[in-house]
Amino acid sequence: MENLAKFVFGFYALIILSGSILAVGAKSLVRAMVGLIATLLGVAGMYMLLNAQFLALMQILIYVGAVCVLIFFAIMLTRADAGGEEAESAPLRQNLLALTAVLSVGGILGWLVMTRPQATTGVPTEVPIEQMGLGLLGPYGLAFELISVVLLVSMAGAVLLAWERRNGK
Amino acid sequence: MSELTLYQLVALILLMAGLFGISQRRSLVGMLISVELMLNGAGLSIVAASQLTPANAMMGQLGTLFVMGLAAAEATLVLAIIVVVARRFGTTKTSVVSTLKG
Repeated sequence: MENLAKFVFGFYALIILSGSILAVGAKSLVRAMVGLIATLLGVAGMYMLLNAQFLALMQILIYVGAVCVLIFFAIMLTRADAGGEEAESAPLRQNLLALTAVLSVGGILGWLVMTRPQATTGVPTEVPIEQMGLGLLGPYGLAFELISVVLLVSMAGAVLLAWERRNGK
Repeated sequence: MSELTLYQLVALILLMAGLFGISQRRSLVGMLISVELMLNGAGLSIVAASQLTPANAMMGQLGTLFVMGLAAAEATLVLAIIVVVARRFGTTKTSVVSTLKG
């Protein structure tokens, strides 16, 4: 990697690290959301660095634009006011158990990643956007149609679940 | 350390943060945020593995695109479930939401 790329990588990694710590550690859920947004933007920068510009834009559009607004709606609709539900910190035992689980999984996976390096080309390959469009319509057409059906069904299901019935139950 | 390893370690950080959050948060919205973190880590790992190795790069990018679509669908459904739970129980604390009707 070039020096500038290393610097930018470190910058994005720092954003991701601090954002994810804020997202899981903040007492107020709105602050956790801000941490999540910072993390998502950092991951979008990583996609940019990996020469996947289309994915970076989709990340900002779908995650920051749509999913985060949805989560904000969830926070507002459940009246989870600032300092409300996560105000009292979790008991120490629960924190310790969560930390044990995370460290065991992360330790095993990190050890595997570090000790078994894969052969890399070093330079990210570039996929022209026309080729991705052709791929979506050609060999991966079935997956594309299926994801549309999944989105449609989940939206219909969400409307059905949250439907407010007029007269009682 | 190769570039791929560095990207995989960042993805691992995302997975660990999400895993910690989902086992430590006590409200459903906080758990939803943690799930989004883990899905992002998966996407970053897939893209890094496909872009930096001789593997099919287009397949990796499209796979991550599908992960994003699934995450959007999942967030929609979880939002509806959270609204229903909040209406029925008055809260979304996981310690309160513990009764089943059968």
